[in-house]
Amino acid sequence: MQTQVAPSSLASVAGNRQARVPGSELLGTGLETRGVHAWFGTKHVLSDVSLDFAAGTVTALIGPSGCGKSTFLRTLNRMHEFIPTAAMAGQVLLDGKDIYAPGTDVTKIRLNVGMVFQKPNPFPSMTIGQNVLSGLKLAQIKRSDTDELLETCLERAGLWSEVKDRLNEHGGALSGGQQQRLCIARSLAVSPQVLLMDEPCSALDPGSTFRIEQTISELAKTMTIVIVTHNMQQAARVSDYTAFFLSDGGPGAMIEAAPTSKIFSSPVDKRTEDYVTGRFG
Amino acid sequence: MLEYLRPMALIRSVFQDELDGVSQSLVDLTEMVSLSIAKATEAVLTADLALAEEVIATDDQIDNYQHELDARIIDIIARQQPVASDLRALVTALRMSADLERMGDMSHHVAKIARLRHPDAAVPTELIQMFQAMGNAAEKITNKTGLVIATRNTEMALEVERDDDEMDKLHRQLISTLVDPNWKHGVEPAIDLTLLGRYYERYADHAVSVSRRVYFLVTGKYAY
Repeated sequence: MQTQVAPSSLASVAGNRQARVPGSELLGTGLETRGVHAWFGTKHVLSDVSLDFAAGTVTALIGPSGCGKSTFLRTLNRMHEFIPTAAMAGQVLLDGKDIYAPGTDVTKIRLNVGMVFQKPNPFPSMTIGQNVLSGLKLAQIKRSDTDELLETCLERAGLWSEVKDRLNEHGGALSGGQQQRLCIARSLAVSPQVLLMDEPCSALDPGSTFRIEQTISELAKTMTIVIVTHNMQQAARVSDYTAFFLSDGGPGAMIEAAPTSKIFSSPVDKRTEDYVTGRFG
Repeated sequence: MLEYLRPMALIRSVFQDELDGVSQSLVDLTEMVSLSIAKATEAVLTADLALAEEVIATDDQIDNYQHELDARIIDIIARQQPVASDLRALVTALRMSADLERMGDMSHHVAKIARLRHPDAAVPTELIQMFQAMGNAAEKITNKTGLVIATRNTEMALEVERDDDEMDKLHRQLISTLVDPNWKHGVEPAIDLTLLGRYYERYADHAVSVSRRVYFLVTGKYAY
């Protein structure tokens, strides 16, 4: 069964945060996928995923390893095609425009749809400040207000107060949790509309995880966030919507998508219930 | 077993055992309060002081059992962090245990009236049949509630609501008798009997409440 998340259902989101209002001028209309499939060589790994990510919301993708959720995430900013033999079909619409349409500037897409990975990966030879601003340099974006941008990005990533006096130290000198927030700050510097996060806390201790979750909550006021997580409690804490993926041996598929409170209180599909209650996975 | 579950079976068998244990404890608690109301009814109808004392003493056991069960449930929630139907099962179990404990209190109150009026009988001869019927209805509804907890049968859960109508009808008959101008036993027995009637009526209401909670834990929806 596939359930698309309609923005109009936002009003019914129950949780510890106020329901977000999608589609404001600042945030755009969000990200949508239509019938997305993915392959590695001849192996069909993801089948027919149609899911809407309303602007200014957090959506968690959950499911056992091998269910295709990370592959799906990587189709959302065309990272999937970096892998040799990888292929995809379907549409990914950012503000209504297919990011796979011929002639699309892929670099621009990845600036608009940023990504944070499982393992913090700051550039080791760069200082903290250089790390944050590295995206601008790579994308050849010139800005005169870099000091202000640096502070804003680190502030939004929840790191400013911890590093403001050591911006010239190397990124590698930070703790794992700080490095991950540095990577988030780096993503923010190019002003993405959407931030994709692939298990961003799986290598972090509980305190750092809590800081990242706070950061996610803050960031979602101004952008759309999609997070892959194996931590069910994290999905329940940080997301407005949750989509459950599963492979029955064949390609992974989206089984159920709904407001997070619904997925974790009374999911419709028995397989979702079995997964979130830990009966398998 | 479903195909997709096969390789992952038994991953949470310890947790499942704990959930089953909670359910079994609720059934045990139901049996305790069913026996308690049966004995309380007999004590009040036969002016049996020893039996009344036994019921009063048993109420402490019921209370202790409930406290132990609640502590266990809180421990499971803290350690297992349940969600969905597991969370509903544990939260409703906390509330069901409170209802069952209250049912034990009702038996205790009935027994205390038997003890208060001893060696006299609290129930006049012409009302024995009515109170016997209320006692039987209370036992029947409790036993069915135990089955509802054990089987999670939602149809049966809804039946308990209808069974309660029988108790409500008896209660109304009792009140009619007590306010009848021909009532000849005076005010004090009338107060005792009003309270007794109220205890049985509330006892059955708590059983209905337990059954409703089972309906909720199975379906995620309120029955009515």
